[in-house]
Amino acid sequence: MYRVDAEKKVHFCDGMSRRDFLHAGALSYLGLTLPGYLQAKAYGAVNEKKEKNCIFLFMVGGPSQLDTFDMKPDAPAEIRGPYRPIRTNSPDIQISEIFPRTARHADKFSIIRSMYHSGTGVHDIGHQMMQTGRQFLNGLEQPHAGCVASYVMGEKNGMPAHVLMPRPIGPTGGNMPHGQTAGFLGKTFDPLVLNADPSLPDFEVPDLLPPEYISAMRLQRRQSLRAMVDQSVKQLDENPDARLLDESFQQAYSLMSSETAREAFDINQESEETRDKYGRNKFGQSCLLARRLVERGVRFVTVNMFETVFNEITWDIHGSAPFSPLECYEDLVGPMFDKAYASLLDELQGSGLLEDTMVVAMGEFGRTPKINPAGGRDHWPQAWSTLMAGGGIQGGRVIGATDAIGAYPVDRPVTPAELIATVYHGIGIDLETELPSPGARPVPVVDYGTEPVLELF
Amino acid sequence: MIGSMRWVSLSLFVMLAGVVAAGELLLLPETLELRQQGQEHQLLLGVGDGGHWTGPVTEAIQWASSDGAIVTVDEGGKLTAHADGEVTITATVGDRAIRRRVAVTGAGAPPVRSFVNDVQPVLYKTGCSTGPCHGAASGKNGFNLSLRGYDHFRDHEVLTRQAKGRRISTVNPADSLFLLKPLGDVPHEGGQRFEADSLDYRILFDWISQGAPGPVTSDTAFERLEIVPAAMELQPGVTQPLLVQAHYGDGTVRDVTRWVKFDTSEDTVAVVDEGGTVTVQKAGSAAITAWYASKVALTEINVPRAEAVAPEVYQIAANHNYIDERIHAKLAQLNIAPAALCDDTTFIRRAYIDTLGILPTPTEVQAFVEDGAANKRVTLIDTILGRPEFIDYWTYQWSDLLLISSKNLKDSKELNAFYRFVREAVEENRPWDAFVRDIVTATGNTQENGAANYFVLHREIPDLTETTSQAFLGMSITCARCHNHPLEKWTQDQYYGFANLFSRVRVKNGKSGGNDVVAASFGDVLHPLRGKPKAPQPLDGEVVVDEPGKDRRFALATWLTAPENPYFTRAIVNRVWKNFMGRGLVEPVDDLRLTNPATNEPLMEALCLDLQEQGYNLKGLMRSIMTSAAYQRAAQAADGAAPDRINYSQYIARRLAAEVLLDTYAQVTGVPTEFSGYPSGYRALQLRDSLVASYFLDAFGRPERRQTCSCERTEDASIAQTLHLANGDTLNSKLRDEASFLSAYVKESVDDDVAVEAIFWRAFGRAPTPSEQEACVSALADVSAEERRGALEDIAWALLTSKEFLYNH
Repeated sequence: MYRVDAEKKVHFCDGMSRRDFLHAGALSYLGLTLPGYLQAKAYGAVNEKKEKNCIFLFMVGGPSQLDTFDMKPDAPAEIRGPYRPIRTNSPDIQISEIFPRTARHADKFSIIRSMYHSGTGVHDIGHQMMQTGRQFLNGLEQPHAGCVASYVMGEKNGMPAHVLMPRPIGPTGGNMPHGQTAGFLGKTFDPLVLNADPSLPDFEVPDLLPPEYISAMRLQRRQSLRAMVDQSVKQLDENPDARLLDESFQQAYSLMSSETAREAFDINQESEETRDKYGRNKFGQSCLLARRLVERGVRFVTVNMFETVFNEITWDIHGSAPFSPLECYEDLVGPMFDKAYASLLDELQGSGLLEDTMVVAMGEFGRTPKINPAGGRDHWPQAWSTLMAGGGIQGGRVIGATDAIGAYPVDRPVTPAELIATVYHGIGIDLETELPSPGARPVPVVDYGTEPVLELF
Repeated sequence: MIGSMRWVSLSLFVMLAGVVAAGELLLLPETLELRQQGQEHQLLLGVGDGGHWTGPVTEAIQWASSDGAIVTVDEGGKLTAHADGEVTITATVGDRAIRRRVAVTGAGAPPVRSFVNDVQPVLYKTGCSTGPCHGAASGKNGFNLSLRGYDHFRDHEVLTRQAKGRRISTVNPADSLFLLKPLGDVPHEGGQRFEADSLDYRILFDWISQGAPGPVTSDTAFERLEIVPAAMELQPGVTQPLLVQAHYGDGTVRDVTRWVKFDTSEDTVAVVDEGGTVTVQKAGSAAITAWYASKVALTEINVPRAEAVAPEVYQIAANHNYIDERIHAKLAQLNIAPAALCDDTTFIRRAYIDTLGILPTPTEVQAFVEDGAANKRVTLIDTILGRPEFIDYWTYQWSDLLLISSKNLKDSKELNAFYRFVREAVEENRPWDAFVRDIVTATGNTQENGAANYFVLHREIPDLTETTSQAFLGMSITCARCHNHPLEKWTQDQYYGFANLFSRVRVKNGKSGGNDVVAASFGDVLHPLRGKPKAPQPLDGEVVVDEPGKDRRFALATWLTAPENPYFTRAIVNRVWKNFMGRGLVEPVDDLRLTNPATNEPLMEALCLDLQEQGYNLKGLMRSIMTSAAYQRAAQAADGAAPDRINYSQYIARRLAAEVLLDTYAQVTGVPTEFSGYPSGYRALQLRDSLVASYFLDAFGRPERRQTCSCERTEDASIAQTLHLANGDTLNSKLRDEASFLSAYVKESVDDDVAVEAIFWRAFGRAPTPSEQEACVSALADVSAEERRGALEDIAWALLTSKEFLYNH
């Protein structure tokens, strides 16, 4: 679909109709006018002063609230589980002993302990809701929050607006989309997917750089020959789609030759010490890479901690194969998260970037309060916890609470839609911005009336 | 400041209009009767040409009423009724005048305000019952109205009974929260919506004073909405107010312009403001739509290009069949000259891509170009339509439409059966109506009767209802599942009548595998608000009476494929048309709303008639389209003309579809793409399952086949695509492969000119131009023997990623 045709009106309940800001914005892709986000700002859909970055750390599998950030030490043994709470550097917050490093940064993050969703308790539904704010109905794929940011704000510093790493979430049983694309916004706004493991010694981003056998000279030859051949089809010069394609080639060329991009993805520039600090694993190095990207102009980074829940040690602790045992929280998964998360907050704080970068660490649901016969816990979308830091979010706070066994929110329940609204609010996207969807139905970035969790700010 | 700017622009129009005003004067509406005390009604004065509205009169107009006690007229032409009687209204422009008789009845008593016909429109237009406000599914702050006010009984109850009746005070109407909130006199999150001296306020106030009566059966039935004028030919820069009339069952006609929601189909051509004033932007066509109380109307605006085109241009332009006649008529209206016909090389490539999804071989191109026969294009079309690749290509298209994928059909026997059903239908060119009937009435085992998998794929009744409408009628009725469709005539009641046609389909585990689709004799789907079923009824068809042993779906199939059902034929015509012409007559291609008219309605009607007369023979329709001059025009506008991507004066170039692009890379390089689970040599267009892994296909927009929607396939450019072409392993690997055609030219003994020519012929089906030849040969001349292969690859890469290759033009 050709984007300029799309209906892109922005309506507000106060009766104002800030018309077509993205209509104008889309023209930028034809090289005719200002970047889309400048237009968006001009029409009030983006608050320039509040424009911030965001990093999603997706704890794929669904961490147990009771063993991580919502401890119930006074509950019976089969509820409270094997781990003890520890104190943090924030007087109001206690978290699981599996996160000793994270505990030293509780002044930087806050915990929402009352997340819940009312959809089916399968992974995919949670992935959809946590990344888009919506459950998909009628096959209509909603855009990931990072793709909305990409659509509304545009790119910065010649870097892609939204990068997903290391890989998209694959099948997790439900066989439904996970909400990690631009959906109905179109491929132009899909994230740039890394498709590579930054912890490997020979790590490089596929497709980002020319293969070894294509030398700089050949690259130059290809580009100049292509430009020469293209002169003979003048009739396509006025075709707006063809111009978008050309622009896309230009972006690819400039990304390929961009020192900034090359540097951003060159994780080897980090010291051994830093790399160790984050943990020498896929997630740890992805978090480190996320920091490098945000420093160089990427607006939104999504880091998937795992790509599946089968035959891999993850947060999905059913207790029996092919899933994970509860003990993996202290042996493997917990430390993996702990090192990377603590280092990321620490370094962002150190460079002053935390103020401008929201970091959301989240799972797709919680786990059953009572430990099952296999010694694990099963899916439980009725309650779980999410960590929020940076980008204007105040640290050291606890939002909401669950009952005595961590089963249901008893105070300030928060839905995935409200979480996404909080992200948009924090990074400076007006919540009533409407997106162009198939059919003429206006789709606001979050459903009308969805409020951000303002107590976090 | 704003006022003075408006003045400047107005005076500009006066100067422009001086030319136009030489035409005849037109006064609309042609007849008018007022039936209410205080009733207001606008008159429109314009200039015309042979009865066609060509713009407003912008010189000074004197309005006069023959009896001000009966009707007064203000300086803008707005009438107000005061007493029963009859008057003559005269509009005078300079030395010319035009008159209209206006009768007034029923003005003896103050008007009675009806909840349905007066209050609801005000609630909509002031924003109260819209989606962002109280019309949201969950309302706002505990006050919830139906979206745009379609559920009168509930809305009335909410207003008069909820919140302990505090919203309305019939004793002291002005104290009603219902009035204080929108006035902003008490805190209101939605702000102030109207002033106390406005007509909107007066209507609500009157209604409360009259006891806030609810909807009653004696409410005059609202039958039809109309925009005046019904069609216009305007010039860029002109501003034209519109009049919208509501017609009621008792003959009453009211001016409802101020409560209408307006929209434009093409805002680069004409925009419309909230009050219904159109401003023309530039040449082209646009439809202005009006929505009022769940009914819609539209008016068509044509804006000719400034440079006149001589009538002879259309007479001498190639005109092969009825399609060209209708396109030329539209082009003449808009002053667009048709482009010349494309050359033979372009034509054969285009016809192959659009019909078969492959490129003609260099030999085929050469033979076609050298063929001297006058009717060689028609001969080629007939040959192509009979080729085996036709079956691959069109089976793939209908598999997209029917969502054939292992995501939806996990049993590979079912998937294969469904694919086979489609393939056989394409192979025998089964008429489209028979094909669709086979699907919607399918029964039996799904491993044998492939069509029955439609019901395995869509097990839920809403899914069946909406998919059937989307796929075969080209209409989304999803909105009506939860509330009356805001942009269409479909109501929630109609939705559940339609849905009930599917309520007796049962899918059971088959005894020997697969599923058995059977028709049960009981079961109904409930209307969620009414709590009981609606009688089964095709959208605007007759109620279906259940008879023992008779499957409701046969009534559905009969209605669906009946000649009187306009949507069925339009939907398939529009899909086929888009495949060849690059743009549907209606866009998006499966959005045939009333408020989304065809860009050339006479052409749409003629194509539908053609297909019906040919007995839904799709190849016949394709032949009509492909043999038209319109299909054979160059992708470049006629000399000196601005580009046109809407009216088919030129071929609309577009990027090759993902599958076609991948297949053509395999074809040109001679290196087939390997697909997991398929024998070597299978093309992407021969895949049965949209889930076969291919990064290339996904990056370039292969549909996932999750949902019946033309939006699934996308040709959007993305950086992932261009990075993949540049650095990825699809095209680069094919070029480097030993099996690649380039290997034959690596040896230094091969002449550079020969090598370059071969690459051009394989990629473009043409010889290089002298400058292309020179540039490429010099690229080869500069390199050492070991670098020669790389240089050849680079030349081929440049051609295969150029717009000339990536585009069908």
